[in-house]
Amino acid sequence: MSGEKKEKTIKRLKAMYPLRSLVDKMYERAVEYNEEGKPTAWCMVNWWGADAVLRTMDIAAVYPEDYGAVCAAFGTAQAFLDRCNSDGFPDHLCGYARNGIGYASRMKELGGIPPEAPMSGMPKPTLLLCSGYFCDTRYKWFQSLGRYLDAPVWLLEMPHPGVRESLSGDGTQKHIIEFMVKELREFIAFLEHLVGKKMDWDKLDEVVNDLIEMNRVWHEVNELRKAKPCPMHSRDFWSCMPASLYVAEDPGKTAVLYRNLYDEVKEKIDKKEAAIPEEKYRLAFAELPPWHSLGFFDKLAERGWNFVVESWSYHPPKPTDLSKISNPLERIARHTYRHFAGFFEEAYKNGEHLGYFGYPYLDYVKEYECDALVAHPLLTCRTATNHLAYVQDRLMKVLKVPTIVIEGDIVDLKHFNPEEALRRAEAFEEVIEHYREVRKKG
Amino acid sequence: MTKRGNTGLAKVKEIYEDRSFYAKQLKAEDKKIIGYLCIYTPLEILTALDIVPYRLFGNMREPITNADAYFPTLVCPFLRSILDLGLKGKYDFLDGSVMPHVCEVGEKLAHIWRTYIDLPYSFYIDTPHSKSEAALEYHKEWLNEFKKSLESLTGKELSTESLKQATKAHNEQRALVRRLYELRKTEPPLISGAETLQVMKALMSIPVKEGNELLQEVISEVKERREGPKGGTRLLLWGSNIDDIAIIEIMEEFGANVVMDDLCVGSRFYFPDVDMTEDPLDGLARRYLLDLKCPRTFIGAAVGDTKRDYPKDLERRFGYLHKYAEEWNVKGAILYNLRFCDIHGFEAPLVKDYFDRYGLRSMYLEHDYSESSLAPLRTRIQGFLELLT
Repeated sequence: MSGEKKEKTIKRLKAMYPLRSLVDKMYERAVEYNEEGKPTAWCMVNWWGADAVLRTMDIAAVYPEDYGAVCAAFGTAQAFLDRCNSDGFPDHLCGYARNGIGYASRMKELGGIPPEAPMSGMPKPTLLLCSGYFCDTRYKWFQSLGRYLDAPVWLLEMPHPGVRESLSGDGTQKHIIEFMVKELREFIAFLEHLVGKKMDWDKLDEVVNDLIEMNRVWHEVNELRKAKPCPMHSRDFWSCMPASLYVAEDPGKTAVLYRNLYDEVKEKIDKKEAAIPEEKYRLAFAELPPWHSLGFFDKLAERGWNFVVESWSYHPPKPTDLSKISNPLERIARHTYRHFAGFFEEAYKNGEHLGYFGYPYLDYVKEYECDALVAHPLLTCRTATNHLAYVQDRLMKVLKVPTIVIEGDIVDLKHFNPEEALRRAEAFEEVIEHYREVRKKG
Repeated sequence: MTKRGNTGLAKVKEIYEDRSFYAKQLKAEDKKIIGYLCIYTPLEILTALDIVPYRLFGNMREPITNADAYFPTLVCPFLRSILDLGLKGKYDFLDGSVMPHVCEVGEKLAHIWRTYIDLPYSFYIDTPHSKSEAALEYHKEWLNEFKKSLESLTGKELSTESLKQATKAHNEQRALVRRLYELRKTEPPLISGAETLQVMKALMSIPVKEGNELLQEVISEVKERREGPKGGTRLLLWGSNIDDIAIIEIMEEFGANVVMDDLCVGSRFYFPDVDMTEDPLDGLARRYLLDLKCPRTFIGAAVGDTKRDYPKDLERRFGYLHKYAEEWNVKGAILYNLRFCDIHGFEAPLVKDYFDRYGLRSMYLEHDYSESSLAPLRTRIQGFLELLT
């Protein structure tokens, strides 16, 4: 056996590393805050609806959803999952949630961060912030943590209009934004009381602008990936996305790192460099990857599979000019709503009803010229799974683009079989070739 | 409006066993029939426009086949079954559908349903998750949009007076259902759990006025009959959707009386009234957002809270359950959940904690909404009942 480390097939971007490391700092910051008696929050990913507010109020946030992936990667999730189940929660619930409940249960038993907790662990929170965005778990999970934690639990709402209703009513969009702004005001009133200090509105204004700019640059980076060959693989996307999704660091500083990433990707495009040795197939990926088996993508890269775009839900919103809106809360609301409904007009024009989770895949596959979709249903994540069969059907019916389904889970290793998946991928190449011909013939 | 001219419980049974028959008859009389999902659709608006609300149910006795192509097996089997029936053409007699955001999978169903099931009308209501003032205002706006869409469908303008009349009729139905539930407080109860579920499902299949007449017949019959249920272990049944009597029949076969429920085909659907407000939409918005007690609606902290007190939290959320347990004198509770229902899955251990505080024994039971998986549940139910006696 050679002592040499085999070089990975996927060429990682250098500018990715500083972005990726921001998440480690996010956990460290929360532990430091806790030790200093400063407020900390366990948050659900809220698609920037609350992050600017928390950062301005100097509340350190951690994301138990992300921590589920961390525990999976470090191999400590199983004990937390088992603990959750023995506490009476059904085993079909979200793997991240069961990990988080098991962690909180253990934390209650010990009175502090469990010694087996990876990275710095999540400190006892001052606040539990749920999000109404997307899935039921993301508010029911934190509600159930009352058994173990005495932090108040707050829900930040997110409207979910249908495509047609959102565009056809004369005042629907106005009501949506008004609703979100009112919810944010109430949230701020709650926080001011909780942490005993007033909102600095000038600072919030600045943070919101930085956040919008950060996401604009991050969006531009992803636009570059339409290039053929594509120099940025989904592996790099997943490494870079938490910096935006969790607002893991001051967004002004993060924007600089995304600009560096933009420059590197642009340079590679100019040099016609791909992320893999030979880009034979361009793929889209849905939804969350098997965090515990990411080396699988290197194996596919050896076969010429380049993943050029992935789940819409982790992408930043399409940029829109919000500079004329003076109220920072309205800018937050419009920015977050833009993420949710950014594809609605196009979906409506094309007669598609699932404007998020559905139509974005049609758009991406067309725009990024993908040959196929790799769908990764997750056994314990309804949200990442319930639309995949539908997407598969729409892609085939509308674009004649095939999908390969590879089952797995975000936390539980045993549901993903990389060897079998590779064998199936090899056979699937014939299907890709077939549909290339079908599309050519029109 | 029956096949054999039955009345009371016989008519209930007839409707329960072939519920679309009546809807199709009404359709033949030029009535519009709109299918609705779960408990968050304001039926009063439909009734006021002379549209028959027809609740969408699945069929646990029919294997899901067609829906697999659009909805994976790891989502709520009840909602999958509804889609499956729709894809098989079993809801083709409907003039349309309305689906609120009852849960995440229900929301997806609304959009997938309208993609593949071609009905003349469909509407989706974005019911908020929380009970804030802002959420209430937002909810009212959606009810207004729903009203406008139905006005457009029917070509009629909905007057305040008509909406108030419809609200009164539905409140009357709620009062009658509460009266029916009173008859379950006696020992033994005058009506069984399985019969009650049949009544609920029948009511959700016919116009409100006919439903009210039927309820009056049932109440009179049940009060007068001699061959009612026999005494047994009194149970409260909490949980997600139950639209088939099979599971309750198992409990009652083993000598239990299901005397009270917190189910969406039961008290959860019917107990709260709509306040008769000047603008009827105010009363409807409040009732359908604030007063319904499904765990899909979030109850959390208020401005000013800095800590959470778990026992108080449980009391605030589940206080009504203790009242039910006391008033209906129950000896145990079954916490029923459909596999893959996250909302009830997260809630059940907390409901158990709540009942434990009052010394009421409870058992969590999970079902995959298929006839074949009832057998293993029998053993668990039997064991639990033995524990209670």
